[in-house]
Amino acid sequence: MFETHATLLLAAILVPLLAGVVLAFGSGLSTGLRRGVALVGFGFPMLAALLLAFRFDASLAGGYNFESKLATGLESIGIYLHLGLNGISLPLFLLAGVVGFAAGLYAIFSNTERPHLYLALMLFMQGGLMGTFASVDIFFFYFFHEFALIPTFIMIAVWGGTGRRAAAMEMTIYLTLGAMLSLLGLVALYVTSGAESFSLPELRAYLAAQPLSETLQSNIFALLLFGFGILVSLFPFHSWAPKGYAAAPTGAAMLHAGVLKKFGLYGLLQIAAPLLPAGLAHWFPWLAWLALGNIIIIGLITIAQRDLKLMLGYSSVMHMGYAFLGIAAFSVVGAGGALLMMVAHGLSVALLFMLSTCIYHRSLTFDLKAMGGLATKAPVLCAFFVAASMASIGLPGFGNFWGEFTIFVALAETEVTRWLVLPAALGIIISAIYGLRAVANIFFGSPRAEFAARLENDAIKDVQAFEKAPALVLLAALVLIGGFPRLISDRADAELAELYPATESLPHFETIAVTPEMETRKETH
Amino acid sequence: MPPVTALLITLFAPLLTAAGIAFFFRRQGGVASALSVGAATLLCVCAFIAINGRGDATLAASCDWLSLGQFKVSMGFLFDDVAATMLAMVSFVGLLIHIFSLGYMKTDKARARFFGGLSIFMFSMMGIVLADNLIMIFVFWELVGFSSYMLIGHYLETDEAKAASKKAFIVNRIGDLGFLVGIVTAYWHFGTTDLAAMEALTLGHPGLVNASIAAFLMCGFIGKSAQFPLHVWLPDAMAGPTPVSALIHAATMVAAGVYFLIRIVFLFPAEVLDFVAWLGTAVAVYAGFCAYAQNDIKRILAYSTLSQLGYMAAAFGLGYPGVALFHLITHAFFKALLFLGAGSVIHGCHHEQDIFKMGGLLKRMPVTAITSAVGVLALCGVYGLAGFYSKDAILIAGGLGTTPIFFLLTLGAFLTAGYMGRLFWVAFLGAPKSDAASHAKESPLTMVIPLIILAGLSVVGGMIQLWPESLGGLIRHDLDHLHHAEGYAAMHHTVLIFGSAAWVIGLLAAFFFYGAGAKEDRLASKVPAVFGFLKARLWFDEIYGFYVAKIQDRFAALLSFLDVFLLKGLIVRGSAGLVTLLGLGARALHVGNVHAYVYWFLGGLLLFWAYAGGLL
Repeated sequence: MFETHATLLLAAILVPLLAGVVLAFGSGLSTGLRRGVALVGFGFPMLAALLLAFRFDASLAGGYNFESKLATGLESIGIYLHLGLNGISLPLFLLAGVVGFAAGLYAIFSNTERPHLYLALMLFMQGGLMGTFASVDIFFFYFFHEFALIPTFIMIAVWGGTGRRAAAMEMTIYLTLGAMLSLLGLVALYVTSGAESFSLPELRAYLAAQPLSETLQSNIFALLLFGFGILVSLFPFHSWAPKGYAAAPTGAAMLHAGVLKKFGLYGLLQIAAPLLPAGLAHWFPWLAWLALGNIIIIGLITIAQRDLKLMLGYSSVMHMGYAFLGIAAFSVVGAGGALLMMVAHGLSVALLFMLSTCIYHRSLTFDLKAMGGLATKAPVLCAFFVAASMASIGLPGFGNFWGEFTIFVALAETEVTRWLVLPAALGIIISAIYGLRAVANIFFGSPRAEFAARLENDAIKDVQAFEKAPALVLLAALVLIGGFPRLISDRADAELAELYPATESLPHFETIAVTPEMETRKETH
Repeated sequence: MPPVTALLITLFAPLLTAAGIAFFFRRQGGVASALSVGAATLLCVCAFIAINGRGDATLAASCDWLSLGQFKVSMGFLFDDVAATMLAMVSFVGLLIHIFSLGYMKTDKARARFFGGLSIFMFSMMGIVLADNLIMIFVFWELVGFSSYMLIGHYLETDEAKAASKKAFIVNRIGDLGFLVGIVTAYWHFGTTDLAAMEALTLGHPGLVNASIAAFLMCGFIGKSAQFPLHVWLPDAMAGPTPVSALIHAATMVAAGVYFLIRIVFLFPAEVLDFVAWLGTAVAVYAGFCAYAQNDIKRILAYSTLSQLGYMAAAFGLGYPGVALFHLITHAFFKALLFLGAGSVIHGCHHEQDIFKMGGLLKRMPVTAITSAVGVLALCGVYGLAGFYSKDAILIAGGLGTTPIFFLLTLGAFLTAGYMGRLFWVAFLGAPKSDAASHAKESPLTMVIPLIILAGLSVVGGMIQLWPESLGGLIRHDLDHLHHAEGYAAMHHTVLIFGSAAWVIGLLAAFFFYGAGAKEDRLASKVPAVFGFLKARLWFDEIYGFYVAKIQDRFAALLSFLDVFLLKGLIVRGSAGLVTLLGLGARALHVGNVHAYVYWFLGGLLLFWAYAGGLL
């Protein structure tokens, strides 16, 4: 029995995979045909995600929208290809669709060697990404993530920049370790729950009925926390990220930093924290301190970077600290903030990685100290980069602001987390320092001597249409969330209320009618 | 038109204009400037429609912006008397400065970006003026910071603008850090950040007023209004075009810090108010001294702005928010006038900004010179002009409150007259001291007319009895309160004598000390030690510069080194090395000799047997 929307959800995974297969064997395709196939492969998931977001019914909280369940031959151990979206996965599904489309669009029209293979790998990644967030079954949730991870390694090793082999190697080992740990955690969850099913709602129901002992919870949570943590570059397990992103080709960096990296946070948000609350409580001090390490230590390290791509890589590690803190707050507000942060960060970091490549094509260097004055030649590129940097440092008007702000609000809610607000908020100064330094060093002021000679050269053009279109897509999404955060929060609120404890921290005061006597008191104030 | 509709237009017209310019008229400076000025006009008209439509009522309208669990944010207007007064000033002064910019920026090659920036600024500023809750104020607060960043950096190819724009944004962010902490704490403390709701709560439960929340929120004011110790960004911000300095860094945005305090006055306990009063007084005097060692006409005015913001803070801290608002409004008139006058001079002198290279401008630019003179007199607080009424009220409040504050503020008034006298005598009188000054011509009508209108406002703007009934309610109330305070009559006389003496002596002393159209700074040549001390401005920039370059950046570099060396080098590589070592060890066992394998096998068997037999 197939319902149209459920079919659409499945198709959003299959279309990019099919397009990838066509391109992988399609070395003989004409440029036009290749672009057409890739465009369908990247465009369809985004359109499907947008349509599903409109049709999404938030009142089904606790359950899933657009559910479908396919047999896989592994029913005996409770594995089904079980797809569906809830309030937490929908925003990330949308993120995957939008960032995938933008990254695809950029890849399609930029010049790479062996473009059909490059695009095919990106399409495989895209299919895996859509699948990760559409899976109800945690086996497939994991499977799709690994499926998307493999093309990343290949792309870095083949199409990467300087030091690509070493970076790909380090990233592979590190991320495999993280994935292994989280797999262990997931399997432990499956085994200990006794649900005999990998389906998330069934696990949830089982664990709600018979919660695990605290020791068991904290042991399993540790596996998931550090496993997922490595995947999200939790301090001090971050060293793969800056180097890996610096070496990665644009498409891989956009998809990995923008979307795939959110897998770990999504796992913590959707699975680990709600299912193992005692585990989170036990590991809270670790999570809080390490997240502060992300924000402050990595933030300061970001300031010291001279290479644009390394700087972006570190800044992306830094911003993950906020999301960890949102999860650590363990409340609807905190989880909602983390969700907003994940979506907005995904959009902004993808945009920044793309723009860094656009800058490189004009400057032929990533060295921030060797540039300057590029704005005179490329004002529109400058405008995009300023907007993306402002988004990433949390300027209101862009989605990132709501993520950061909501997380700060969540931290201030109880005594347990209130002390975190001030040190965490130091990040807004730190990020302003490195963000604005980068903008100023690349675009403003007088250029360095060699760069000045290059700027004289008329060959430097402002952004072209194929660079402008994906940038506009990402920027529009950021502004839309910044202006109308309810687009995300309204869909997630009810689901988060199901998964996270209802707290009653708001003070209640009896309403007092203002009497004339009070008015006079006000006047003598 | 219903007032709420009018307010929506005042808020969104400039935003749409900025978006339109960014997307369609990036290259057409003429169209862009026309659009932006059109939006400013529409905004001004709608603002006055809304003010008229309001009457005495407080208009409130809001909608949900974000809702997650217990966290709810709304976006709405709280259009009361204070907001209406501020709106009237911002929209009208804003319009005049837009018109002035038509002439001033006529030949600028990035005119469209400039006018787009002005429109974004107007949008953000309107948001602060109208916002009904702290979170919304914070949103627009950061956005004015961004527009300020964008406009300070307008001449982006210069290293000066590059550094100044960055500095302004980062220093403001330091203040915003405190502001942010204050907001999130206030949210759980009051259960809301709605201004009206919080006011009602603090009236009903005076115990809710919390010093630490007030102190955190005050940090926002310190950053935005460039108060000590975050004042360093404002003088550097003069790297932006002069109309920007007039609009953002004199009349409206920097004053928004004071406006914000007035909006949340009910959150302030007495001890924090005292702190604000002393802080403002200190800045008023400190900035007054700094102005003597500046030769750039705009930087002199910037220090003067700092000093006047100090006066506003002092009035607020002394318990008279209405008087602070009064000085905010009159200051906007004469300081915008002075900055635009400076802009006109700079335009006339081909971007010469050193007052010791001007001179004789009274003959060559008579309208600019006379209107600037009006501005100088109004700022000094000459009897009957706008600045007199508000400064008089502040001094009286000081005299009735804390005597040291009164004397310091009077000293500040004397300093003001001195440095403004220095500016005027040196730049406008005597003979021209450079080619640029001798060829100066009066500016075009688009620039001169705003000067004349602002000069008019600087003359009559302080007569509160002439203001329309719908504006200035809080000001009237607080002035009335002041007039009925004990000892008012005696203090009024004292202040009249001290205040008048301050400006008369200040202006005359400056005239006799520096002389009309002086070629060089006599203070610098006669007493270089004092001049040098004043020029050093207590070494704030040097200390901050030292901290950033020698401490923060080095610490960051050290962390970066440790990150690469320790984490990557030792631990990650180290564990990879360990695995390799284990591999080597294991490989060593594979000697490829059958005899050896037999021994290994026997050894293993022995071990197994020992284990099974309980020997191990």
